[in-house]
Amino acid sequence: MKNPEMNQLIAARITERQENLYRLAFYYVKNQEDALDIVQESIRKALASSSKIKDAASIDSWLYKIIVRTALDVLRKKKKLTVADDETIEYLRRGEEDHYPDLDLQKALEGLSVKYKTVVVLRFFEDLKLDEIAEVLEENVSTIKTRLYKALQLLRINMTEREETKRWKKN
Amino acid sequence: MEKKLKDLREEYLKIPIPKELNDVVQAALNEKPRKKPRIGRNILVSAAAALLIVTASVNISPAAAKAMSDIPIVEKVIKVITFVEWKEEANNSSAVIKTPAISGLENKQLEDSLNDKYLSESKQLYQEFTDSMSKLKEGEKGNISVESGYVILTDNETILSVQRYTDTISASSSTESQFDTVDKKNEVLLTLNSLFKDDRYLQVISENIKEQMKRQMAEDPEKIYWVEDDDFTAFKGIDENQNFYINEDGKLVIAFNSYEAAPGYMGAVEFIIPTKVLSDLLVGDQYIH
Repeated sequence: MKNPEMNQLIAARITERQENLYRLAFYYVKNQEDALDIVQESIRKALASSSKIKDAASIDSWLYKIIVRTALDVLRKKKKLTVADDETIEYLRRGEEDHYPDLDLQKALEGLSVKYKTVVVLRFFEDLKLDEIAEVLEENVSTIKTRLYKALQLLRINMTEREETKRWKKN
Repeated sequence: MEKKLKDLREEYLKIPIPKELNDVVQAALNEKPRKKPRIGRNILVSAAAALLIVTASVNISPAAAKAMSDIPIVEKVIKVITFVEWKEEANNSSAVIKTPAISGLENKQLEDSLNDKYLSESKQLYQEFTDSMSKLKEGEKGNISVESGYVILTDNETILSVQRYTDTISASSSTESQFDTVDKKNEVLLTLNSLFKDDRYLQVISENIKEQMKRQMAEDPEKIYWVEDDDFTAFKGIDENQNFYINEDGKLVIAFNSYEAAPGYMGAVEFIIPTKVLSDLLVGDQYIH
């Protein structure tokens, strides 16, 4: 049975955090229309499965989880993204750098695969704690820690490479 | 690095928030859960009055009228007619609500209970529409479209399957349907439970649907169903109140509303369950074969 009080809590939390939820959705799809669709569909899913949430304290990470998954669904559909392993994606991504010689960190971040991008966004932009991110992505904390570390490493590599390219271009 | 990430965060927080966001969120939060609609108890006098006027012009289809006149009186003609139709247009919004009625059953209790259900649900829908219109402020546009009607899915010697649907289009669209299947010979309303010997069918049908979902997803990357085993909103299985009907080929069809088993863009989805999967579990083969 659904708990009406829990539904109210969830509704209140959604209303309060709607801008965060929207931004996160937007971050994936980069356009307003899809981002709004994701928010709307996520709310539906949230209300439909509200009985699964036991603890009011985990509402936030649960909402993020739904947004992330719905956004990934939309991306999958939009781009007909075929599933490739992360190494392949990283490899392919690196190939793009030549076309954009003056990328900043923003672009470096865009260059990461969804898996790494998500941890960076949740940790640094949405200010989630590692254990909350672990909840969102249903991984254990140490996996998230490794993933974040790896993401930062990749960012650093990407950035250094870019700076070197710049320097090289200048000379 | 830290500093740069901070700058990046500033940029992230500058992602513009569209002014529609609040409306979209509130609309989604206020959507009715898609379980059983409540039966409206306090129907406004105006709606009741409107009903009286339109009922006078009950719209029997010419084909039905002809069929009735051609057939000797002793033979029973079980038909679905449009009992009442409401149309309303205002504030850039429209509602078209058609209510079906079943006629010709000797089992008047069944006939009345179905027709009462149809009528009260239509009233409810009409009421919700006029309510949401009256909440609009002066000059505000509603931008809602509600269309409700019915489709006769199967009408043969043994079975009459009727689908009633409601399409709601506001920020996005959704379709909800309900189905009734009547055994015309015995004049009983069929339920899923009544078709099967015991409740093993729930498991069997659920598994078959999951297989079909997975197969369709593998064949067509455009299709997505919520069927992944680890997904928390995934389709877990049907229960005895699942929407179903029996199609003209005598096959059992399991129907889902929008958002029930797949993302919104997939719309309302249906699965035909192969009869050979069910044959051991069926009470008999007079309906499903």
